[in-house]
Amino acid sequence: MSPSSPGTDQIDTLLWIGFVAAAILIVAINGALIYAVRRYRGSRGSRTSEAATGRRSQPRVGAALTAFATVVFVLSVIYTNNARETPASAAGGLASASSEPLTISATGQQWLWRYDYPNEAFSYYKLVVPVDTTVQLDLVSTDVIHTWNVPALAGKRDAVPGKTNHVVFRADEEGVFEGDASTLSGQAYAPMRTAVEVVSPARYQAFLASQKSDIQAAQDRVVGLIESGEVP
Amino acid sequence: MIGERPRQRPELVVDGYPRRRPRWTEIATSADHKDVGRVMIGAALGFLFIALVELLLMRLQLAVPENTMLTPVTFNRLLSLYGATAIFLFAIPLALGFFYYLAPLQAGARGTALPRIGQIGLWLYLAGATVLYSGFLFTPSEAGVNPLAPLSELAFLPNNGVDAWAAATGLATLGFVLLSVNLVATLHGLRAPGMAWRRLPVFAWAAGICSWLMLFIGPVMLGAITMLLIDRNFDGIFFADGSGGSPLLWSHLSWIFFTGAYMLILIFALGAIAEIVPAFSRRPLQGRRVVIGSLIAIAVVGTLAWMQNMLTAPIGIGWMYFAMLLSLALIVPFGLVFFNLISTMVGGALRMRAPLLFAVGSLSAISIGLASEIEHSMVAVAWRLHNTTDATAATHFALVGGAVFGGFAALHYWFPKMTGRTMGETMARMSFWTMGLGTLIAFVPLFIAGGDHGEVVDAYKFFAGTGVSALNLIATIGAFVLAIGILLTLVNAIFSRTGGSRAGHDQWGGDSLEWFALSPPEPHNFDVLPDVRSARPLHDIRVAIAHRDSPALPEPAARETEPVA
Repeated sequence: MSPSSPGTDQIDTLLWIGFVAAAILIVAINGALIYAVRRYRGSRGSRTSEAATGRRSQPRVGAALTAFATVVFVLSVIYTNNARETPASAAGGLASASSEPLTISATGQQWLWRYDYPNEAFSYYKLVVPVDTTVQLDLVSTDVIHTWNVPALAGKRDAVPGKTNHVVFRADEEGVFEGDASTLSGQAYAPMRTAVEVVSPARYQAFLASQKSDIQAAQDRVVGLIESGEVP
Repeated sequence: MIGERPRQRPELVVDGYPRRRPRWTEIATSADHKDVGRVMIGAALGFLFIALVELLLMRLQLAVPENTMLTPVTFNRLLSLYGATAIFLFAIPLALGFFYYLAPLQAGARGTALPRIGQIGLWLYLAGATVLYSGFLFTPSEAGVNPLAPLSELAFLPNNGVDAWAAATGLATLGFVLLSVNLVATLHGLRAPGMAWRRLPVFAWAAGICSWLMLFIGPVMLGAITMLLIDRNFDGIFFADGSGGSPLLWSHLSWIFFTGAYMLILIFALGAIAEIVPAFSRRPLQGRRVVIGSLIAIAVVGTLAWMQNMLTAPIGIGWMYFAMLLSLALIVPFGLVFFNLISTMVGGALRMRAPLLFAVGSLSAISIGLASEIEHSMVAVAWRLHNTTDATAATHFALVGGAVFGGFAALHYWFPKMTGRTMGETMARMSFWTMGLGTLIAFVPLFIAGGDHGEVVDAYKFFAGTGVSALNLIATIGAFVLAIGILLTLVNAIFSRTGGSRAGHDQWGGDSLEWFALSPPEPHNFDVLPDVRSARPLHDIRVAIAHRDSPALPEPAARETEPVA
């Protein structure tokens, strides 16, 4: 997938590093297995009586594996830190992107995401954010554990009841990005999807205003119905 | 082991167990470790079949996009049953069953230290299985493979399915702990004279390591299950947020158990392969001590890396790096075990019989699964791949490689010892190649679907136009191929029990003490025991016999022949 956020850029690179690391081990081990089986199958085995200890090679192989694991670990820490979605961290990736992120609350509930915007407007299912702006989602849950997952924009994070988790991303291009929830949350888990619509700042402001006035109008209407006695 | 049998070693005879009761009563009420082990292995293989049926039903549902063959509730029930069956009723008991049967024999014990404890363990496991599938008659759990709180709480799943799940897995886990207690006591207390720890076969070491591991992780799971039952039935607040409880508590405790069980299954497979590879390479295991040390490291470090499963949860970034460090550190011990096993084959004289074939397949599948787990351990990558079908594929490669391929390697290797008959070789080969093909076709597409297209796990349907339709169809076909392969071996085992060709007492030329016993062993295991002077007592005997018959051949060594690795 094409990255649409600096964080996913870093994740993509690290994914490739991990893929290469895994591929090296898979090829090495399976290559050695195939070689051993093909070469020594039914062979007379001139060295069969030898009690092999590999005394010399053990430390070497151990050291090589340790070096391999260390390289993977260090690269992972570097790229993870770059992709870190923590605005407070000092340098790199998203952290240096902007001073104050736009904070939106995302609430997981069976089986719909609700987004609360700073001006008290809210929306269900679809999150609208301005382009080229650092957005921090505060993930909370009202019932069970949900995972907010829009892979084109950010890494996935769990919304756990009683805790607040954070996702920070900055969309570089306008468009609609979709995602599935990815922790089993009950019957309607599979269709519990979400979409992030990235729009220009002006359209974002217009969306907020219209959303707020729509909500206000609906509330007024309900209050009016209650006051007029039509709704008990 | 009851009734008359021609006796090949008439030295010291404990004779005349009169057959008083029907055979099945005898086996069902026996506390003998071999009877308990056989029942466990048989039951575990039966549950492998049931788990396969559940897997195939789920794969059928996922064959085409937006399928409506199963309702979401049915799918979630099958998913929960599949997870509990595959882990608690198949993989762990299969490993423990083989350990329970063979470790006392390999240690040269004439029985176990606490046979009744082990017998209760078996029956608790069977009771757990019964509870789980009685739940199937009314309402199975819908909470998934690992029923994460708060979804598993009463407020969200008010029927008694989760209670049945908790009772079933709790009973089974308690059984595993009791079996492990007996294995630990036996291995520590009843080893034959001369059978020092350094001479104990690698598989018996694996038994000891896994038993100790189960003594740590089993009670953790029992504690978590108890809390879940209190939450559900007595207004507990362990996993409720606020009031001092935390949903993440369940995550931590259950992942400690599941991660430990994952390691247990791999240690079982690698331990069995470390017996099979030398026997079929006609060569002692290279770096015995390094392999044993690595298995210990895998048990300790692997289990401590449980938070590798929680990299998207709200835990501190420091804990995430800690989990990643431990997970990546596993590259070293696993790598050393692979290195020594493969080096043992290089330069040997390989007999490609069924046990070695399955052992090589197991190593291959485990290597693919574990190498892919590296990506899931890298924190930022886990933010992408966590809970995608990429994780499903990695886990299944490792655990199908360990429990099914590794378990079948052990089954083919020790079947002659347990039954006195060998399993059909042709059928074994057909089964192996079908299974190998099936594993690749079933799980490689899931790597692509999860890694490239982000398909999520546990979902009862996927949507058209997300690029995963063809991949899922291929995976479903592969699952059926895999199932056919597994069925071939199960059928092979059933028919070979009575119809297989008769096996010798030392069928494969193994080096450890179980091959000194009769096939199948007498109830007391051994009439006499050899003086154990090295890690390869049967090899020493062969050398001594060869020297006696033709004195030109080398004399048997008086002390250890195994150099220190």
